[in-house]
Amino acid sequence: MIALSQERWRGIVLGAFGVLLFLGLWQLIGVNRWAGLTWPPLTDVLTFLFNPSRRALFGRAMSASFSMIALGYVTGAAIGIVLAGIAHLVHPLRPGLDRLASVVHAIPAIALAPLFIVMLSREMTGMAIAALNVFFVIYVATTSGLVASTAAHRDLFQVFGASPVKRLMRLDLPAALPAIVSGLKYAVPAAFIGAILGEWFGSSRGLGLLMVSAMQNFQIPLLWSAVLIASTASLLVFAAMSVVEHLVYRRYR
Amino acid sequence: MRPEPATPNRPLRMLKTALSRYWGVIAVLVIWQAWVSISGVNQIVLPQPVDVFRDLVAEPGIYLRNAGQTLLLAALGLILGMLLGTVIAVLAWSSTLLSGILTPLGLVFSSVPVVALIPVIARIMGYDLKTVLAIVVIISFFPAFVFTSAGLKTLPPGSSDLFRVLGASRWTRFTRLVLPSAVPSWMIAFRLAAPPAVLSAMLAEFLMGTSGLGYLFRSAASGFQTERALGTSVVATVISVLCFTFALWAERAVLRKWN
Repeated sequence: MIALSQERWRGIVLGAFGVLLFLGLWQLIGVNRWAGLTWPPLTDVLTFLFNPSRRALFGRAMSASFSMIALGYVTGAAIGIVLAGIAHLVHPLRPGLDRLASVVHAIPAIALAPLFIVMLSREMTGMAIAALNVFFVIYVATTSGLVASTAAHRDLFQVFGASPVKRLMRLDLPAALPAIVSGLKYAVPAAFIGAILGEWFGSSRGLGLLMVSAMQNFQIPLLWSAVLIASTASLLVFAAMSVVEHLVYRRYR
Repeated sequence: MRPEPATPNRPLRMLKTALSRYWGVIAVLVIWQAWVSISGVNQIVLPQPVDVFRDLVAEPGIYLRNAGQTLLLAALGLILGMLLGTVIAVLAWSSTLLSGILTPLGLVFSSVPVVALIPVIARIMGYDLKTVLAIVVIISFFPAFVFTSAGLKTLPPGSSDLFRVLGASRWTRFTRLVLPSAVPSWMIAFRLAAPPAVLSAMLAEFLMGTSGLGYLFRSAASGFQTERALGTSVVATVISVLCFTFALWAERAVLRKWN
């Protein structure tokens, strides 16, 4: 039995109460139709979602979206870490890479969609936008984490004549790990957002497509189900990353 | 030591600074151009930059009208969302019960793709301008709430004791200590919320297809007017970069005064 302080317990109870209150309010508004017919009760959405006849539909959409999200997440994270490493090793390159990251971040994804559709394909656009979103978060987290190693350690590596690459791999990167893992956590919703809105620009599959077509055709339970699936998935991955973050902080700090 | 001739070197130095800052952006543009040239993409699919520029200059009215509307909705929604988020954060600060209930909910909503709520809100509120505004308000609300809540809790060390010793009332403590110390976090929220405000306004317009830059983009894309679609991209990027730069400038200006 894990001993938790009284304050911690209070937080958990109140938090659970808050979430239940939110779900109850959702149900209440839906049942009484306070927001009209376009706000279904939670139970209706869940019944619709878990109906066996729709398993194939949601399964296809989920596998399409989740594979794009995962691919975009990994690609974006890899590019972010590698570019941050380069900016750290070759210092003169740093201002240019910083500026590139902030310009990429400031361009609205909708403006890049036509380029990605032409250069990749409609199906890969979501992946590309997800990768860009993730890249920005990871690049910022990694560059700030790479300067976290202490001066005494850096001097030690200097004295032993370690090469810059060796220092990066053995000292700076491990020191940056907590910051990178935090970045990886915050990049989760960013990847979901990127992939879903990428699918709004004419993709032929995925949860984003389900949302848009359900919205245009007034398929209210379908619309809410698709949003619920995407939100729950993002929340679960985010929670899993929070656990990883906790473990890494305990090990490295 | 002889004095450096300042004038002839200045343009060179400026070029060097610009190059060191923008080489990444330039490299991406070069790669893009190379990709288009090598893969031989059709002109109709991806027009030349010149054609995009010509369309921008030829029809400034269409771009200005729609961009103005989008910018106005995004700015208004951002301000309202920030205000709402701040008010709720202050309410949560004033009561441990409310804070215990609202803080986890805020965390839940900041870990889900809030942009996916746009179709739901559009369906609930109907396809019109106030829906676009409401969407921007909701998208801007979460960072404002989360960051202001965090800011209200991080007081300078010792300051709380000082106010207690001086016998300050709860209200004085709030207006003179707690609120001012939340300002830096508030400015971070403002900077973080600015680009998504423009993006979500455009996405709402794009999905509903009523008016604004998002609508312009959609009608151009469905009519295969690729110059118009890319022109809209250029205008959207300019607006978004301006908003972000303004927010960054505001943050730095406020923080400089604050410290």
